[in-house]
Amino acid sequence: MSGPPSARILVPVGESITLRNTVAYAVREAATRAEAEGAATVHFAYPVTGRVADQAGLEEPRALLERVEVWARDDLGDEADASNVAFETAVRAADEYLFSPADYARTLNEYAEEQGLDRVIIDPEYTPAGSAPMVQPLEYELERSGLTVEEAPVERPTRRARLVRGGGLAKFASVFGASYLFYLAIGGFAGTFDFVTGAFSAAVTAALLSQISLSDAPDTRTPVRLLRFLVYAPFLLWEIAKANVTMAYVVLHPSLPIDPKIERFEAAVWGDLPVMTLANSITLTPGTLTVDVIDREFHVHSLTRSSREDLLAGALERAVRFVYYGRDAMAIASPEERRAEVDDE
Amino acid sequence: MSELSPLVSDVLVGAAGAFAVLAVVVLYRVARGPTMQDRVIAVNVIGSNTVVIIALLAAAFGEPGFLDVALIYALLNFLMSIAISKFTVERGGII
Amino acid sequence: MTPVEIAIVALAAGGVFFAVVAAVGVLRLPDLYTRSHAASKSDTLGAVLTLGAAALAFGTDVPTAKTVLLLLFMFLTNPTAAHAISRAAYDQGIEPWTTEEEGKP
Repeated sequence: MSGPPSARILVPVGESITLRNTVAYAVREAATRAEAEGAATVHFAYPVTGRVADQAGLEEPRALLERVEVWARDDLGDEADASNVAFETAVRAADEYLFSPADYARTLNEYAEEQGLDRVIIDPEYTPAGSAPMVQPLEYELERSGLTVEEAPVERPTRRARLVRGGGLAKFASVFGASYLFYLAIGGFAGTFDFVTGAFSAAVTAALLSQISLSDAPDTRTPVRLLRFLVYAPFLLWEIAKANVTMAYVVLHPSLPIDPKIERFEAAVWGDLPVMTLANSITLTPGTLTVDVIDREFHVHSLTRSSREDLLAGALERAVRFVYYGRDAMAIASPEERRAEVDDE
Repeated sequence: MSELSPLVSDVLVGAAGAFAVLAVVVLYRVARGPTMQDRVIAVNVIGSNTVVIIALLAAAFGEPGFLDVALIYALLNFLMSIAISKFTVERGGII
Repeated sequence: MTPVEIAIVALAAGGVFFAVVAAVGVLRLPDLYTRSHAASKSDTLGAVLTLGAAALAFGTDVPTAKTVLLLLFMFLTNPTAAHAISRAAYDQGIEPWTTEEEGKP
């Protein structure tokens, strides 16, 4: 890189867990440049993967871009030269299919040329084409066409599981520990024989199954999450107690006062484990039952109207976010508020 | 093992009896259906009742060995539900 | 009666009560989704309370640990099973039962 980094920045946008932090980084960068050069622009571009036939197909990219802009303005509020930084958003390639990283690079490149942008900040978890790795080939393609490319230095809360990945030892250890404990609990901690056979069978189990049963290796965050889970458990138990009193009332009431309905909403939790926790918690709590989860869209069957309102108020969702991402994540809006935002368009 | 007073032991056996009666009552739903899933739900309820019955009898008679049976039964009960759901779904992956 | 015995009896009574609720729910509710509400919630709580009673009755020993393990297991699997079954039904296109009045706010 020669000279100072440019103040005209392009950020490709797609659903990703680190998108929020990438936006924050881009805005910070822009603010720094604005201080030095007097003005800076950040363009957020959403390359649409498939071909979109009508306006309805564009709703999702638009909603995301709108959210991104809100975030960006939010972040900018803290900086001194707020008025010198401009934001643009754009949906691109809605009339064609994008297959390879090269297609994405071409789209982004065209856009950059059109708008006179020469610096790209990429979200390290940017994977618009599903699970295929995207960032590295994309960076390569973009750099070939003369753009300055950098990855936003953001922390990655979770990572999509590839089929074979590292962390083998940690996985082995945790599966081994769990099986050994289970074996000993069943056997009743009875003597040397059990300790030896237990260790042996736990080793066999862990060797065979550790890669299958855990998609993510336990790491330093795991103990913290377990601790937070201990905070979550009483809350969940209380919700369950309430749920059952409601159920008992509804079921034993002579006129059966129910009003069942399936509710769909997009949950603001990411990754398999948090989604599973939320789904199970929803199933256990007041009059709600998770019927289906497609990616992050929950289909929840609710028994009564009050349970529906509780669900959309999002206390549970917030609690699950607290367990996995910490206290900061609790501030995200509830499903009801998010839905209202989309309706406002 | 602590010694249970006869009263507590009776209560536990009584609770086991109640669970057994409930399991028989729920059999009506198994027989009636109407859909296959209704039957699976009912069988699942009967299965968890059975687990509870076994555990209660283990406690009442002071036979901890029964608990292993209950554990395995719980595992099988869960597997049964998952397997049947899986069989009825075209696309892969049920959970 | 000692406090522990009272707790055992209370837990067993609560467990039986919720098991009754579950059974009545499974018989009475109109469709399989609502029935699985009864199966997943009331039945889980009924089982968990009763297993709690059994755990107390064993005193503090390996059997208690096993009963607690059983309890946790029920706690995890019952909702999962209910979810799996209702999802299978949902995939088959079984429509949920609703109250007749339509067009609520």
